[in-house]
Amino acid sequence: MKLRNRIVSGKIHVDMTPMIDVVFQLLIFFMCTLKVIEPEGDFDISMPLGAPKADSVTDADLPPFKVRMLADETGELSSLSFNGNNLGGGSRAIQLLNKSVFDSIVALQAIGSDQLQKQEVEIDPDYNLNYRYIINAIGACSGRIGPNGVHVSYLQRIKFAPIRQRPL
Amino acid sequence: MKIKSAFISIPEIDMTPMIDIVFQLITFFMVINNFDQNEADERITLPRDQLARPPIAVRKNSFMLNFGYDLDTQGRRIPNTPPYVFFGDDRATLAEVRPRLQQESQFYKTIGTKFEDVTVEIRADADVPAGMVQELIQMCQEDTIQFQRFALKATQKVDP
Repeated sequence: MKLRNRIVSGKIHVDMTPMIDVVFQLLIFFMCTLKVIEPEGDFDISMPLGAPKADSVTDADLPPFKVRMLADETGELSSLSFNGNNLGGGSRAIQLLNKSVFDSIVALQAIGSDQLQKQEVEIDPDYNLNYRYIINAIGACSGRIGPNGVHVSYLQRIKFAPIRQRPL
Repeated sequence: MKIKSAFISIPEIDMTPMIDIVFQLITFFMVINNFDQNEADERITLPRDQLARPPIAVRKNSFMLNFGYDLDTQGRRIPNTPPYVFFGDDRATLAEVRPRLQQESQFYKTIGTKFEDVTVEIRADADVPAGMVQELIQMCQEDTIQFQRFALKATQKVDP
């Protein structure tokens, strides 16, 4: 018996329309929900704020490093002092603060390495000082970026002093 | 004369390159879309610092307080207005925000989360007075609210 050689010609037609519909919907969704935001980081502060309570116990053996920040009428940093030493104003003062903290932790390491973990920094800003200087001061106390981009950590225990009075 | 009816063929368009590109675009938007920062309010201009790094581990229990100035339609700060804490389209001044914080505190109490495990992420505008940020933190620590952990947000400064 002779069998006929049946050759099936032509492609199987797949309807792409629903898939393309869904894909475009997804594309539009992702385009609309896109928020262009710069990468954000943060500084952890877990600290008592305000007047120290009678039952607040701290394991720090030494008194905290004190960072006093004075503001002018516009909220700009007019003067910064570290442990009573005046470092001037503006961004130069923040750089000097970073150097002063480094010098202090070198001295701390001479006493004992565990002191470094316990050491606190108390930031005491004027009420109307622009918040950006607080972040700059916290950054200057918490470390620096080394020459090859490595994060060199200084102090992690950062707290605020009691709130200064609002200027009249 | 008899004319043969011509065979009509439907022209096929090759969709493959278009689908390829569309999938590439979807992948691109999915990758660059940061869903973690959806709580971030665009009205806030964060201070910059090169040491501000994202936390190593994702915080399980945290909520964000966006604290800054309201902007007009041109994106400029409205003069003579106090800074607000923004809750989506809603906003509250520092004096009005306490009930909101109590509500948030009540939520964590209800679900049985310890307050020492909850981080309050403060996204404050660079120009907000430092004393107001301190007041906000102090309010979060009041006996009726009791939050203990705080993270101050900043934009990662990239040096040229």
